[in-house]
Amino acid sequence: MFHLPAFLDAFPALLSGLRVTIELTLLVMPCAVVVALLLALARLYAPRPIANLAMGWVELWRATPLLLQLYWLYYVMPSEFGILLPGFATVAFGLICNVSAFLSENFRAGIASIRAGQWHAGRALGMSEIQAFFRIVMPQAWSRVLPETASMWVELFKETSLVSTLAVADLTYRALALRTENYRTLEVLTALAVAYLVLAYPQAKFCDWLYRRQRVHE
Amino acid sequence: MTTDDQRDHRRYAHNGPALIRVEEVFRRYPTGVEALRGVSLIAHEGEVVCIIGPSGSGKSTLLRCVNGLEPIDRGRILFGDREVRGKGREARAIRQQIGMVFQSFELFPHMTALGNVGEGPRTVLRMAHAAVEARARALLDKVGLADKADALPLQLSGGQQQRVAIARALAMEPRAMLFDEATSALDPETVGEVLNVMQQLAREGMTMLVVTHEMGFARSVADWVVVMENGQVLEEGTPARIFGGPRLARTREFLQRVEHAPHDATVKPE
Repeated sequence: MFHLPAFLDAFPALLSGLRVTIELTLLVMPCAVVVALLLALARLYAPRPIANLAMGWVELWRATPLLLQLYWLYYVMPSEFGILLPGFATVAFGLICNVSAFLSENFRAGIASIRAGQWHAGRALGMSEIQAFFRIVMPQAWSRVLPETASMWVELFKETSLVSTLAVADLTYRALALRTENYRTLEVLTALAVAYLVLAYPQAKFCDWLYRRQRVHE
Repeated sequence: MTTDDQRDHRRYAHNGPALIRVEEVFRRYPTGVEALRGVSLIAHEGEVVCIIGPSGSGKSTLLRCVNGLEPIDRGRILFGDREVRGKGREARAIRQQIGMVFQSFELFPHMTALGNVGEGPRTVLRMAHAAVEARARALLDKVGLADKADALPLQLSGGQQQRVAIARALAMEPRAMLFDEATSALDPETVGEVLNVMQQLAREGMTMLVVTHEMGFARSVADWVVVMENGQVLEEGTPARIFGGPRLARTREFLQRVEHAPHDATVKPE
């Protein structure tokens, strides 16, 4: 039987975990955007060896499971390389690498989609390539990649739940801990689902809105 | 034949010193296509030089080489007494003095008309905000679009966009202007408004290198006409001579072809 008080009681207990989930998302996303931009630029404009290196790095993170990546960083780095970071820092690093790899592909396609004539127009005015990139190419590419980037954000918000397996006390971790205390599996997990849904749904709607706005724009 | 024409004494008597000097320029694309095979031409200060010829003859490539957007493999291009060369600060300094207008306008879609015109002074010349705005408004007024200052490129017709693009190039106060088939992508009814602006510029003494399929414009506005084919200069001369009595059969054939095409203004190459 569904026990309503247990369900409601679960929420206060989840609150502290929510903070970690939000912190993680807010930290990882901006960092991942910057790293992704650098990776995309390296792949597009760096000399061949560096471009290939960037490509290899991106494929490494795109073609392996996130959970494995986090485990590897969490267990292998300390034991084999003596690098011992706090759990939060480790998973943040792993998430930044993973998310930036996916984002960089998106960014690369966005930048490459701006036609050469726009570069020419900027440079014909006497702009340097860096000026043409930041004034002309990037603003246009940005509006093209924004919807995809926003859905990545929602994705990330949910994916952070994986860090609960590494003793980082996020939303999911708190729920699972609570469950082992009161054995109210149904109520606690349902409360967890409701928490994610309530938080992620407006974000997903916002993404839809970005998509629609972009379609009107083009 | 080329050198004979360049020694045409009437031309030298009429015009100032050479501003753009293209000397035996070769350009081969990485794909192996030889776009330019030893092209030479001169534009004197204040002169309108029209470059005509069939699609794929290297006209547009030549323009991009003149302001250094496209590298050259051999030969030399001089702007004033300075050589146009590759990348770097010096190349940019020359490019600032050469305005360019593109077939497909290439306005910056994320900026208003006013923003587009002000972009050069703002980003390249680093002029103060008020001065940028004053200059941009004056130029929009000059091309007859003062009321469109806040419009985005998408909200403008092709002819209006191209006039904004001309204003944008003029905002750098260039010493010369390059027009790369500026009217080829336009609806027939808006071609005239762009040609009028170009004609006005010519009257004001702007040095212009104009790649065009508008034979009427070449005939009435050009001081000098260069006919290109297959990456080479076929022949050149005053419009009266080129259109009145071309020396080469191939020039005659080309001119007959374009004169008989009913709407050559709207024929888009590629």
